Amino acid sequence: MKEGLRQSMAWLHTWTGLLLGWLLFAMFATGTAAYFQDEITRWMQPEVMGRPDPVVAAEGAVRFLQTTAPDAKRWFITPPNSRSATTQVFWQPDGDRPRGSRRDTSATLDGQGQKIEARETRGGTFLYRFHFDLHYLPVIWARYLVGIAAMFMLVAILSGVITHKKIFADFFMLRFGKGQRSWLDAHNVTAVLALPFHLMITFTGLVTLATLYMPWGIAANYTSPDSFFDTVFAQSEEVGRSGQAAPLAPIGAMMRTASAEWHGAGVGFLSVSNPGDTTATVSLTRAPEDAIGSRGPQLTLDGTTGRRLDASVSKGAALETESVMIGLHAGRFAEWGLRWLYFLSGVGGTIMVGSGLVLWTVKRRARLPDPERPHFGFRLVERLNVAAIAGLGSGLATYFLANRLLPLRMEARADWEVHSLFLIWGAVLIWALVRPARRAWIEALALAALLFAAVPFVNALTTPRNLFASLAAGDWLFVAFDAVMLLLAAGFGWAARKAARPRSVRAPRRAAQASDTVAAA
Amino acid sequence: MATKASRAKGASRWNVAARALAAIPANYVLTSLAIACLARLLPMRPEEASVAATLFSFALFAVLALTAFAVRSVARLWLGMIGAGLLLGGGLWLSIASGGRL
Repeated sequence: MKEGLRQSMAWLHTWTGLLLGWLLFAMFATGTAAYFQDEITRWMQPEVMGRPDPVVAAEGAVRFLQTTAPDAKRWFITPPNSRSATTQVFWQPDGDRPRGSRRDTSATLDGQGQKIEARETRGGTFLYRFHFDLHYLPVIWARYLVGIAAMFMLVAILSGVITHKKIFADFFMLRFGKGQRSWLDAHNVTAVLALPFHLMITFTGLVTLATLYMPWGIAANYTSPDSFFDTVFAQSEEVGRSGQAAPLAPIGAMMRTASAEWHGAGVGFLSVSNPGDTTATVSLTRAPEDAIGSRGPQLTLDGTTGRRLDASVSKGAALETESVMIGLHAGRFAEWGLRWLYFLSGVGGTIMVGSGLVLWTVKRRARLPDPERPHFGFRLVERLNVAAIAGLGSGLATYFLANRLLPLRMEARADWEVHSLFLIWGAVLIWALVRPARRAWIEALALAALLFAAVPFVNALTTPRNLFASLAAGDWLFVAFDAVMLLLAAGFGWAARKAARPRSVRAPRRAAQASDTVAAA
Repeated sequence: MATKASRAKGASRWNVAARALAAIPANYVLTSLAIACLARLLPMRPEEASVAATLFSFALFAVLALTAFAVRSVARLWLGMIGAGLLLGGGLWLSIASGGRL
């Protein structure tokens, strides 16, 4: 590290990008998909149709809860938003009762408050959760691991920018068919074009779990984190039931009161304490799609009269900044145009990470002492690249295929959809380990292309909502889903063809010259 | 680096290890101390100061990690970090001992 700033930053960029690059690739890919998590859920429950009205749906949910859990301590209701079609409810049973599984205390309802009879699936929610909770791992470990990866990403981005000499020239530079130069271009274009997005998304991603990763700012001022959270999120005191029954005031009127208070913004979440009792209260939270900030204002009303009891105090500048940063990360406020831009930027980030991983091997292959017998580290990276990039693609396509192909009444169906993703992913990893590296690339990429291409066809065979029916009905969600599957298939297919072409023979000297922007590390 | 690395592979390995230790665990301790001091010093309500300092922590950590690999002398890097850590730790201890926490 005596070679000067640019060289040391290039070295740092290479290794911070590589060490957790495979995890970062999976986080970027699933996080990008999660921008359409509600739409993916709708596609994965093709039985559910329509665009329910949130107020009518919440009234229906209250009717459902009044018969299902009349003496619960609290009800929680998430009415449908403009993108989802169902109401999620769960309830906290009265203290004396043993807590059953989550399945016994939650339900998915339609716009009228009837329990939905649709296939069991975790839908887009799984991809969203995997993005930061991973799977088959204790959540807390996963979150630390994801946080470390995000910090590596932040350091890789900053050191990459410092390394980069011609950041503006490379904005417009994408040369195809030039071996290492093309990989470097692909890496630079996807990185530079969406650089503000990559910086923003990495930083705000860390902020979403900030108090987990950096609890010492709170510990400096508070003896216990609870006293901090009590100050910030003033929870209403838990009041015992009086024992006197009193009907709940109409929930629709309360939602209209709250909307009026928030200048027309909708209600995204309701919680009802002590329902059916004189002590009942209803807390309403603003819908996340109506403003950037992730922690919308709350309004608490008396459950029997609908009278206003309490409103959340406005936040200070720092808390407001945190709320907006988390909101920017999750993008729940984004309308269609912005949502697609989020998605495309995420795809760019995924390609940036993937091309960076490939670039590591491309740069080193020319300089291997014996290219026919590379050293262990090289072979490991090469195989993990195949498994991470092509394997995850195959896994995601399989997740969607399993949703259509598993028996509808199967036991633990939703779990098996998820298992099928990891079974294929693991199978591609094993395949990549045993096959010659180049054959493994071609075969794994082709498999991902085939599986993605199969999704629209399997959908057409197993549901009435095929591409032509969707086009005729103006069902753009299903049309777009099929289109994205076909585009992904085309992308993986193109990559497989590229990998199958004989490699252009390059003199090592030219390859060395080509690496002028990322110095040899 | 390939040619230089073969000449002084051992020294380079120690150099990288010392920098990585400074950039990750030592950096985390130093950032935590700085953030805790900041949370106590910022002229805002305590919950606001805590959150503002926490938000700043990731930028500080990233810049310190870059610095750990950018500076020329590893010895000076460690001296600087230990010095700053002692200073911040002492200040934090004084502040909490005299002002207490909520």
